[in-house]
Amino acid sequence: MKTMLKVTGFAVFTLLLFNCSNKTEQKSCCSIHESSHQAEADVSDVSLFLLQSQWENQAGKPRKLSYYKGKPTIAAMIFTHCPSACPRIVADIKNIESELNASGFNKIQYLLISMDPARDNPEKLQRFAEDFRLGENWELIRADQSSTAEIAQVLGVKIKPLSDGGFDHSNHIFLINSKGEIVQQLAGLSADPAEFIAECKNLQ
Amino acid sequence: MKTSFIILLIMLEGSANGLVAQHLPAKQPEMVIIPAGKYFPLFLDDEPTNLDSFLMDRLPVTNEDFNHFVTENPQWAKASVKRLFADENYLKHWDDKKPFGPHPAEAAVVNVSWFAALKYCECQGKRLPTTAEWEYAAEAGRNRPDGKNEPGFYNLLLEFMSEPLPEKLPPAGTTLLNYYGVWDIHGVVFEWTYDFNSALTTGESRADTGSGNALFCGGGSLQTRDPANYAAFLRHAMRTSLKAKNTVKSLGFRCVKDLKIENSR
Repeated sequence: MKTMLKVTGFAVFTLLLFNCSNKTEQKSCCSIHESSHQAEADVSDVSLFLLQSQWENQAGKPRKLSYYKGKPTIAAMIFTHCPSACPRIVADIKNIESELNASGFNKIQYLLISMDPARDNPEKLQRFAEDFRLGENWELIRADQSSTAEIAQVLGVKIKPLSDGGFDHSNHIFLINSKGEIVQQLAGLSADPAEFIAECKNLQ
Repeated sequence: MKTSFIILLIMLEGSANGLVAQHLPAKQPEMVIIPAGKYFPLFLDDEPTNLDSFLMDRLPVTNEDFNHFVTENPQWAKASVKRLFADENYLKHWDDKKPFGPHPAEAAVVNVSWFAALKYCECQGKRLPTTAEWEYAAEAGRNRPDGKNEPGFYNLLLEFMSEPLPEKLPPAGTTLLNYYGVWDIHGVVFEWTYDFNSALTTGESRADTGSGNALFCGGGSLQTRDPANYAAFLRHAMRTSLKAKNTVKSLGFRCVKDLKIENSR
C-alpha cells in the first residue's frame, strides 16, 4: 500500500510537472512578445522591424531585424545551394551596389536572407559571402523554419520546396528604408534597376 | 481510502484524456492522430509527399480559444494588431457589445490573418498544418480514410460549399466528423495552412513552366489528379488568392503537432 501511495505521488508529481512545463512553454513564447513590445513603440505599423524573430548572421552573431535600423537596406531572399537564380540575384544587387558606389552613395547596407534554414548555417553563409566577394556592408542571415516562412510572407516572396532540397521561388530585390518600411521592389531577374537606384539615392 | 484516491486519480486523468464522455466533442482529446501516409497533390505534375503521422486539433480554434490567446498576447488584440500582420478586417465580427458578434463563442474563429494563426499555434506549442497535411486529413470520409470511395461524400462536400455562409456560424464540432475524428475540416469555414501560397510561384526561377498557367487560364480542374474532387480545387484556388495578412469571414484555422520528438523543431 505504501508503495502504491508512492507511485501515486509520483504520478501526481509527474502530472504537475508536465502541466507546469506546458505552462512555461506557453509563457515563454508569449513573454518574448511581451518584452519586446515596448521597443516597437517607435516603428510604424508596417515596419519589418516589428518582426520579433531571432536570426544569426554569417559570423554566427545573433541578430534581430531591428539591428538594421538607421540605414537604408537592400535585401533579397536566397539560399546558398541555389543553382542559378540566386547567383543572378546577387549579381543584380552587386551591379546596383557598384552603380551606387560610383555615384558616392555608399551608406547602404545589403542583406541576404536565407530561405533554406535547414542547410544554410553561418559557415555556409560565410562561404557564400566569400565566393561572391561580398563586402563588409553585406550581412547574410538565417533563422528557424517558422521565422523564415513569416518573413517570406511579409515580403511576399513565394517559396515552394522541391523534392531535391531546392526551392522554386519568386525573385525580388527590396529597398527598405531606415525605419524598416519597404519602399521599392525590383521583381524578376535582370530587371531594369534605374528606378530602383533612383529611389536608393533618394533615401540616402 | 488510499485505493479510492488512486481510482479517483485514474478517473480524473481518464476524463482529461477523453476516455470518458465519448459523445461530447469538447471533452474528447484535444488532438487526434493522423496516421503516416502519402499525399498526392492536386496537380498531376506535382510529386507525392510522404507524411509522418502527426497530431491534429480535433476542432478548429474557436472565438473563445482565440480570445484567451489575445488576452495573454495583447499585441494580437483587435485594436492593437499591426497592419503588417493583419488587414483592417481583423476580428471584424468581434464587438464590444457582443463579444463575438453574431457568432457563438464556441464557433470557429474567423477574420484572422495567417500571421496571427501562426503565432497562436506557436504559443500552444503547436504549428500550422502544411497544405499536404491538411489536405491529407481532409481526404478522409465519414467512415473511411479515402473519402473519394465513400458513396455520396464528394457530393456532400459540394453541397457544403454551395451553401452561403450562415449569418451565425455553428459551434465547432457540429458539422462533419471524419474517419480520423477530426471535426469541421469540411463544413462552413476554410482553414489556413502553413504554406498556403507556395503552390504557385511567379516562375522566374524556372521560367513559367509547370502547371500554373494551364490550370488557371481556363484549364479549370481538368489538369488535376482527381477532377471529381472539385472541392479540393476550390480550396486550392482560394489559398493561392490569399495574402498572409488577409482576413476573411469564412477563413479560420486549426493547429497540428509532430508526433515524433525528433521531428519537432
